[in-house]
Amino acid sequence: MDCPDCKEKLDRYVDRELSSTEVLELQLHLEGCPDCSDQYEFQAHLKRLVKHSCDCDSAPAAFREKLRQILT
Amino acid sequence: MAESPARTAFAEEALTHLDTLYRGALRLTRDPDQAQDLVQEAYLRALRYQHSYQQGTNMKAWLFAIMRNLFWDRFKGSRKEDVSLDDVGEFVLYDKLRDEGARPEADVLDKLAASEVVEAVEKLPPLHREVVLLVDVEGFSYKDAAQALGVPIGTVMSRLHRARQQLQKSLYDYALESGIVRGSNNNQVHE
Repeated sequence: MDCPDCKEKLDRYVDRELSSTEVLELQLHLEGCPDCSDQYEFQAHLKRLVKHSCDCDSAPAAFREKLRQILT
Repeated sequence: MAESPARTAFAEEALTHLDTLYRGALRLTRDPDQAQDLVQEAYLRALRYQHSYQQGTNMKAWLFAIMRNLFWDRFKGSRKEDVSLDDVGEFVLYDKLRDEGARPEADVLDKLAASEVVEAVEKLPPLHREVVLLVDVEGFSYKDAAQALGVPIGTVMSRLHRARQQLQKSLYDYALESGIVRGSNNNQVHE
């Protein structure tokens, strides 16, 4: 695998959407390529940042209770 | 009148996904009251069409599909007029920051405020926003996201790619505006 192949697959690697064979090939490349490895770390960090920034909202307790009463 | 045990069990299981639905509705409507209205209607509809849910399939994706379809029907008119996304080209934030002499993670990602990230997500057109919500925030697989959105997996991947490009561009603009990084002709990062 070369760098363009690796970069093309990084999104799917970060999203855990590659096959096990593709994962092994990509991990082998990352071990020997600091630039791709840094880019992977960056993309994984960015994904975590989006998740943690957006998933802190939960349904208000009063709304949850209201729904439970309506639905059950 | 007491509800049937089957209906109650179904409702209880559906309610375990309430936070996911509420967060999705909040990010789509950007309004807590509208989000609650949307989610409540989605749950009522889910119970009404309980028979169409196939046991053993992904209930969270099924519920999300009901909620987002209601969103498009109620808040966006007949269908998806708000689909345009500025063409930012192949904007890769990592490459941009490296070219400017910054350390992309330590100098930039660690300094972005959560509120700015939320704002960047909410600036995405809804069709692109919802795929980021499903895959990045809620951890859906491409397959489950495709089910929830009613599109092929390839469409999930292409929307996600474009959404991430736009998101990275928005975060870069914020980093510039807030002084976290300087522009292209000055390879310094503010301490």
